[in-house]
Amino acid sequence: MQVALFGNPNTGKTSLFNELTGSYEYVGNWTGVTVEKKVGRLKKNLGLLIDLPGIYALNPLSKDEAVASNFLIEEEFTSILNIVDASQLARNLHLTIQLMEYGKPVLIGLNMIDVAKSRGMKVDEKSLSKGLGVPVVPIIARTGKGCGEISERMREKPVAPDFRIDYGDVIEEAATRIMGILPDYKSLNKRWLALQFLEGNEVIRSISAFRPLKTELLAYCTEVENRLREKNPHASLKQEMFKKRQQFIDRLIGTAVEQTGSERKTLTEKIDAVVTNKFLGVPIFIGTMYLMFCITFNWLGTPLSDLLDKFFSGPLTDWIEAGLTKAGATQFIRDVVLNGIVAGVGGVLVFVPQIFVLFFFISLIEDSGYMARVAMVMDRVMEAVGLNGRAFIPLIIGFGCNVPGVMASRTIEQPKERLLTTLLTPLMSCSARLSVYSLFVSAFFHKYQALVVLSLYLLGIVIALVLAKVFSMVMKTEGSVFIIELPPYRVPNARSLFRGTWDKGKGFVRKAGTLIFGGTVVIWLISYTGPGGLDVPVDKSFMALICKYLAPLFQPLGFGTWQAAAALLTGFMAKEVVVSTMNVLYFVPSGASLADVIQHAFTPLTAYSFMVFILLYIPCLSTVAMVHKETGSGKVTLFSIGYALTVAYVVSFIIYQGGRLLGF
Amino acid sequence: MVLTELKPGEKGIITDLSHIDENIQRRLLDLGVLEGREVCYKCALPFGGPCLLEVCGQCIGIRKKEAMRIQVECS
Repeated sequence: MQVALFGNPNTGKTSLFNELTGSYEYVGNWTGVTVEKKVGRLKKNLGLLIDLPGIYALNPLSKDEAVASNFLIEEEFTSILNIVDASQLARNLHLTIQLMEYGKPVLIGLNMIDVAKSRGMKVDEKSLSKGLGVPVVPIIARTGKGCGEISERMREKPVAPDFRIDYGDVIEEAATRIMGILPDYKSLNKRWLALQFLEGNEVIRSISAFRPLKTELLAYCTEVENRLREKNPHASLKQEMFKKRQQFIDRLIGTAVEQTGSERKTLTEKIDAVVTNKFLGVPIFIGTMYLMFCITFNWLGTPLSDLLDKFFSGPLTDWIEAGLTKAGATQFIRDVVLNGIVAGVGGVLVFVPQIFVLFFFISLIEDSGYMARVAMVMDRVMEAVGLNGRAFIPLIIGFGCNVPGVMASRTIEQPKERLLTTLLTPLMSCSARLSVYSLFVSAFFHKYQALVVLSLYLLGIVIALVLAKVFSMVMKTEGSVFIIELPPYRVPNARSLFRGTWDKGKGFVRKAGTLIFGGTVVIWLISYTGPGGLDVPVDKSFMALICKYLAPLFQPLGFGTWQAAAALLTGFMAKEVVVSTMNVLYFVPSGASLADVIQHAFTPLTAYSFMVFILLYIPCLSTVAMVHKETGSGKVTLFSIGYALTVAYVVSFIIYQGGRLLGF
Repeated sequence: MVLTELKPGEKGIITDLSHIDENIQRRLLDLGVLEGREVCYKCALPFGGPCLLEVCGQCIGIRKKEAMRIQVECS
């Protein structure tokens, strides 16, 4: 059995998906969290559940919505699970009707009954079920209430609904005629195809099997529309069909919904009056970010990281050394493990506490509903550079990791703005870069850690905005549009908050165990061997020989040492590797930390210039792969690497040379 | 009159949406914003930033230039 999950954006499809499959996918409180199809195995071996991006109607406006519409015509599945937001019943039912016309069995999960209740609406699922002719199960997806019953219902033999609404003489006649013209296509419901064709669904209109008929059919659609205009000069097919569905829905809601109390001024409105305030909006956003970094660095994260660092470089190293000596390991093995793996991987793992604290706050912002407000507040600025406020969401997600950030740009409607966002998201300072900053700020900027890191994050944003302006002046601009739904605030649910933090953070830990582990061993080997054989002094190793050629390139930026060049070169794999490489290349005496050692190799100014270079210089390997996948163009991918290198060089140059002139 | 001529917090009935950008018009229709619906103009952000409106209990943000193309009638 394959069940497809459909519903409006931000109605809790992914929450339900996680409940029913026992897996964990990304959830949040804004429109467009899920941008691709995800398949999970239902509990109790019932079959597969497919999570799809949220849609309002079957005719897609953006790329993520097209994923859902294409699914209906391309893929095989047995039934539809439609999740409906009880607090926005009328709007949600428009999609439900179109899904029922599709002809496959439908099961409805009525979500957010609690939200509806707080708005004074009581929804009677029995009358709803009777009116629609399909089973309706009330649920609260966030807490898992009612999900058991959904599983039970899915076990029953699914029955296709016998559902049809009357669209009025003109449209009904047109639908019948189109049904006669259209050839069979993948045994899809003819009436559904005809209605969607009439309504202007681009996915249906561009099915290749219909191509020979397309001109004839389009001319016919115009003719039908003209006939509608005889009665009402403003009418369009789209609107007329919407109105007929609305009439059906209004009748249904009249029997199934009881309006008990009147609406009070909700908490959401009170909070919105402050955070989207004329003057306070932007300062509040920057203040929130500053607070986030203060907790991550000054107050909570760094003390924890220091403790972990002491443990790794002290007791842990001693234990492993003792164990290896006891086991009779050779000097070579001891060197690999202690100076290679423990130093390199351990050097990255010490940042786990800080990264988890940061991810906790990002999850908090995502879950609360503040994300959409940020997009709204930033729209004016984004408009000035040729983007829209929605593009700010991928940028914020990019703070966690650039890969999902790049993917999130799918929700942007205009192709040009989408491309720009994809190109610029890698400039956002991700958590991997955070490990580099943590190392340097603790060594050079002890008092102002949060402020220095915030400045790097803001620098990333500012450069992205400047480049957006430059790029959009070069590209031919289509008119930019912006529309966003502001979901009601929610008190973040502790469970989804911790799951969200863990899910983002575990990628960092896993990467430390795989890519960084492997990378570190290779880096260690190259720095252990040289033309003189094994165990050469590090500055006579192959690593030193190769990177000494590169080092002079970075002299004008202030960090012309071969160690810095090596760290940058290996950092292309993943930015954390910069830290591992430094741990391997700089000899750290026992009891001391790398932070003490690099104080001799950098000055505060060169450290800042180095951090800026790390921030901008090149997207990591996984991000480059994702940019290639999303844009489908090798040229664009190369461009994204090239422009980043150029910008990094120029900005670091200005900072270092400017800083020197100012006497730092 | 147009939507932005309402005072913040005032309500009106939408009379004409046909001058808005077509993509926005479609998304508004998806959200249930159409002629005849009551709309509440909530506020606008500074420097010609986006406006916040409420229709059928949901808050929607759109740009000022689009809001200025929504014809309303005082209710």
